[in-house]
Amino acid sequence: MSNYEYYTEIQTTLENQIPNIAKEQVRKIFRAAFQKKKNQMISEFLNHPVTKEIEMGINAKNISGTLGGGSGNLFSFIGFEEGYDPIGPIEEVLLRTDFKLIKVTKREIEFSVILPEPRDVFAVTPMPWASGRSWAKGIETGISGLGYYLLKSTKNSRSGLGIQSTRKVRKKSRFKNTQYITAFIRKYEKEFSNLEL
Amino acid sequence: MKPQYQHKVITSFLLWFDNHLLKKGEAYSNKTGTLHYFDDSRLPDSYKTYSSPYKQWVTDSSIVGSENPIIPTQFMGSGRNDGIIFDFENGRIIETGGSFDTQETITGTFAVKDFNIYLTNETEEDLILENKFVQNSRYNDSENGIKPYDQVVPAIFINSETIQNVPFAFGGEDETRMSIKAVVLAEDSYSLDGVLSIFADSRHENVNIIPFSGHPATEYGDIKNGSYNYTDLINTHKGSEVPLYIEDVVVSKLSDKAQKQSIGDLKVGFIDFDVYQHRFPRL
Repeated sequence: MSNYEYYTEIQTTLENQIPNIAKEQVRKIFRAAFQKKKNQMISEFLNHPVTKEIEMGINAKNISGTLGGGSGNLFSFIGFEEGYDPIGPIEEVLLRTDFKLIKVTKREIEFSVILPEPRDVFAVTPMPWASGRSWAKGIETGISGLGYYLLKSTKNSRSGLGIQSTRKVRKKSRFKNTQYITAFIRKYEKEFSNLEL
Repeated sequence: MKPQYQHKVITSFLLWFDNHLLKKGEAYSNKTGTLHYFDDSRLPDSYKTYSSPYKQWVTDSSIVGSENPIIPTQFMGSGRNDGIIFDFENGRIIETGGSFDTQETITGTFAVKDFNIYLTNETEEDLILENKFVQNSRYNDSENGIKPYDQVVPAIFINSETIQNVPFAFGGEDETRMSIKAVVLAEDSYSLDGVLSIFADSRHENVNIIPFSGHPATEYGDIKNGSYNYTDLINTHKGSEVPLYIEDVVVSKLSDKAQKQSIGDLKVGFIDFDVYQHRFPRL
């Protein structure tokens, strides 16, 4: 074996090992950046005005402006039962965001981020009075005041809030569509694809 | 104002919806019955109306089933050539000639839709909670004619809720996204489930665009040229415009608990369509 051949063989062996050595290091670096972005995503979701208003329950003010900012709030308008946590299931779906290693070559290591689709969120956000419908989608496309009136007409109001509105209040409470889950997930699709290490 | 995009879309969607329900569900029944004289102050004094106990009659001759719908062209030997107008929308005939007198008993056979279909701008709470509809049962044979113009149940109310243009391609092409919602008020769970099932399966269907001028009905609720066939109509206009596309459809029922607080014994369901079309709105 000539010196040249010996050198080439070592070089090839080292080059073949580089991806494996680098893989764990890069994975570690990527995980840190990914986790930071994921935390940012969850935090931003929990601080969204719609999320905050619903989390505040029956006593919330209409900080999302979806009901014209006047009397009433989304929790009661949608017709949730008192004590129900509508936000928890969405947070669980978002927490499932993960990544996996796709490809390792001499030149690059490729990761794939698995982010939920809007439909995954819509599937865990049923309307309390029509389970096939999603209240989260309704925030984007419109929600009728039906839940509000069904709630009002129940003697033992499910939300624990005696809704005392008349038709006049209902007129003020016409729902205004607002960007929510779809825009949020599309934004983080871009953020994750541009993740800086 | 001349008809706009929204008018064209909702007209096309309504015609498709009607055809789809009748075709897939055979959601009609042939009835033989008496038409009763009814004084209609909205019409000229010389017009006499005779109402059946049911509205709306089937008009679409493209519908075939185990028993084909009977689309009337005459009653007791008198038809359009004798001055009879068939008001399919209100389930009646309007007599403009001298075929019948008001004391006469007119009988005939016609196909009645299982569900009346209406366009509406009313909110769901107004439709569902206000208990304002006359129930026009398809099962109990009534002897009386039904008043014209009022909306009666069982029925499906269609409302175009939102429309949004989103950039799609270079050159000014947009994806127009529409949210069209239907509220179903049914007499029983069987027919409600049937309607919801039919439309749940309509995801990814195309809806052909029919220009406003192509609408088959006249101002009196009769059909233009004496016959209407949805398949022929879409073939006539095929290729003139990119069809609408049902991107997604979600069906749901009002929960049992909520049902008890809504209108009487009617069963309530919802069909939410996401309808897309690719077009050049600024050209």
